[in-house]
Amino acid sequence: MGVRLEATNNLKGLIKGYYDELFAAAAEGRPSAWLNVGVPCEVFYAMDIFPFYPENYGAACGAMKLTPKLSAIAEARGFSADLCSYVRATLGTVFSGEGPYGPLPHPTIQVDSMNSCIMIMIWWRAVAREWQVPTFVVDTPLVREDSAGINLDYVESELRRMIAWIEEQTGRRFDLERFREVLRLSNEGKALWSEVLALRAAHPCPITAADIFTHMFPMVSLRGTPAYVAHLRALRDEVKQRVDEGFAAVPGERFRLLWDNLPPWFDLKLFDELAQMGANFVIDTYTQAWGPRYMGPVDLDDPIRSLAAYMGAGFLNVQIGRRYDLIAELADLYDVDGIVFHSDRSCKPFSLVEVELRRMLQERKGIPGLLLEGDHNDPQLFDRARGLGQLESFLEVVAARK
Amino acid sequence: MAAITPSGGVPALGSGAVAAGGAARGAQALERLRAVAASPRAELARLKEHTGLQAVGYFDSYLPEELIMAHGVIPYRVTVDGRDDSRSMEHIQGYACPAARNLLDQALRGDLSALDGVLFTRYCDSLRGVFAVWDADGLSPYVDFVRYPTVTNTESAVQYLAAELREVSARMAAALDAPIDDHRLLESIAACDQKRALVAEVARRRATREMALSGSDYLGVLVAATTMLPDEFARELSALLAHPPAGEPGDALPVVLSGTTFDNVELAALVEQTGLYLIADDLSSGSRWYSVRVGGTAPTGGAGGSAGLAADPWTALARAYLTKPPCSVKEPAEPRADHLIAQVRGSGAGGVVFYLTRYCDSEEVEWPYLRDRLAAEGIPAVMIEGEHRSQGFEQVRTRLEAFREQIEGF
Repeated sequence: MGVRLEATNNLKGLIKGYYDELFAAAAEGRPSAWLNVGVPCEVFYAMDIFPFYPENYGAACGAMKLTPKLSAIAEARGFSADLCSYVRATLGTVFSGEGPYGPLPHPTIQVDSMNSCIMIMIWWRAVAREWQVPTFVVDTPLVREDSAGINLDYVESELRRMIAWIEEQTGRRFDLERFREVLRLSNEGKALWSEVLALRAAHPCPITAADIFTHMFPMVSLRGTPAYVAHLRALRDEVKQRVDEGFAAVPGERFRLLWDNLPPWFDLKLFDELAQMGANFVIDTYTQAWGPRYMGPVDLDDPIRSLAAYMGAGFLNVQIGRRYDLIAELADLYDVDGIVFHSDRSCKPFSLVEVELRRMLQERKGIPGLLLEGDHNDPQLFDRARGLGQLESFLEVVAARK
Repeated sequence: MAAITPSGGVPALGSGAVAAGGAARGAQALERLRAVAASPRAELARLKEHTGLQAVGYFDSYLPEELIMAHGVIPYRVTVDGRDDSRSMEHIQGYACPAARNLLDQALRGDLSALDGVLFTRYCDSLRGVFAVWDADGLSPYVDFVRYPTVTNTESAVQYLAAELREVSARMAAALDAPIDDHRLLESIAACDQKRALVAEVARRRATREMALSGSDYLGVLVAATTMLPDEFARELSALLAHPPAGEPGDALPVVLSGTTFDNVELAALVEQTGLYLIADDLSSGSRWYSVRVGGTAPTGGAGGSAGLAADPWTALARAYLTKPPCSVKEPAEPRADHLIAQVRGSGAGGVVFYLTRYCDSEEVEWPYLRDRLAAEGIPAVMIEGEHRSQGFEQVRTRLEAFREQIEGF
């Protein structure tokens, strides 16, 4: 059993405050926006538009084990059971009003970007059709390795087009100085997050995977707010203290593993069971999407273009070569013994390169990898007993190589 | 390097060898088109052998084949061949779209060794996964990726795509030692516009019952259209138009086939054996493709017409491909429903058969919407889900027969 952070306990208050604010905004007639994680919430905080992330909400549905029930509601409307489980769960709420927080307020607008998956766009499309919400797509063409030249120019123009559209839809004015204030807080928090990620390289590792995944909530939804900076500082301080004290989040750490892909939100206890075998996921690729490589500090002198650069070459908007480089680098930095590739049925862009990545990392770096079939939000797509058996066997392989 | 024209200087099979007139010529043309559709890779091999030219494959209807032709290279749309030997499963998970996996299977089997290169766009999330494997494993000597817009209704997207096509063109020229020829680009645009117009004419005549061509043969025409070089294809299709097959669809119930790509002629024939007649289509490889007219889209601020096209063919290409009736992977998607309804109304079809490729995310979301839009128009629709294979059709047959009876009972 891994030892959880105190900072994790603070999250409950942050989440409650966030949802209270969502409902308060609706009650007071303040504008709100549904965004996907590729759309920077900083723009919306700067314009006093409440940013709501259905992907976060979907994860909450998963954690509360509501996905099967909500999915059935969407399926009854003709939506396929093969769709992403975030989509099915959220649409279940949209169609029925059921969910962990009851009916969700209709947003004033929706904005989504193409820098993760096509699923996002069609998910927003389905909501727009049901609720008649004005919706904007920020076009961020998929790139091979980076966004530069004409691609960066185009993404920047898309961001400017987005801001003009938001102003038109909400009547809220975009103020560059206010935006910089929000970005300063955002940059401060991201620097703290980067420190936390770097501290995970310590031997023994100071944090469990379940802990770090749980802290994605403020990274996604609260960037640019004072509460976010305060939380990240407390998190960093606690993790640093653990490192200074040589504290092991997984007592008797034997296996240092890398987790690729989203976690199974409905079953973070899986990581506890692995911890009992001495295994900790000392690093992962998912949280890197908010790390310095893919969401680093925004240049305050030219913030729109700087944001565009991050959006255009976002974690899931680049291709297999960059992903390989990242994992290979992390494997060295974090002294990784093996990699678990979570083959996540609900995330094709994340998952459909994993078979190749496993082979490449095995061949080029000699790092063993396991492809674990599952899903980030739907327990019906995860054969737990089989998965645990595979993980146990994998640890034997890793042990034999140590 | 040999020059390519829209004919590539390839001797035509069938039409030129034996002078035939009247109905015999039409039948000959149909046989030729059927043969190409039955074995497009054999046609590619024949083209390469006779021209000595390189060939570049592509996979979706947003990729302008004119770009490839302008380099003196044979363009070849890799069609879904209905075989699945599961070789791809060693490289990509089974929940990738089966059509995309099939394309990978073909490459892994070595069936696409005639291709000197391939061009991908981000059509869908499965195809981007296939690109990753293709790229990582070097399944073709030249593999490139077009950074394609998703938003199709902005001028900035048109200008961006035009610039991107120029960059891809420059890389292709270097990789294949195949320089671009501006005149050949214009010639290719004209030839492709002509062949698409001819396909549109076939579709129009079928919809108005002036031409009794089965739906499976029509799908064969679509496959041949992106396999043969434009001149020979135009010659054969013109012969077919001049001398159409005799006969009537009988009492078969006309329906519109809707979906993404649909290359399985045999499967279409099985569908028609249920008493349905595929009279029109809403496919990415069909009516959403043949409506592209590059020559008819003048660059903004340009002189328009042929003069505008000559001044800036790249912008014209970008505009034409972005403004065609959209696939569900593009934004905005609403014109797709209007296009589908227009196909039904224009053909007098009694309903819609929606072919949902398994694991196709965008179509899975689009289906409930299209179903409701069609219902609001009083148009019956049925969805059949499949993997582009003819095997296992019996389960589908019963549903299609019931669908037919349902419509006839109205």
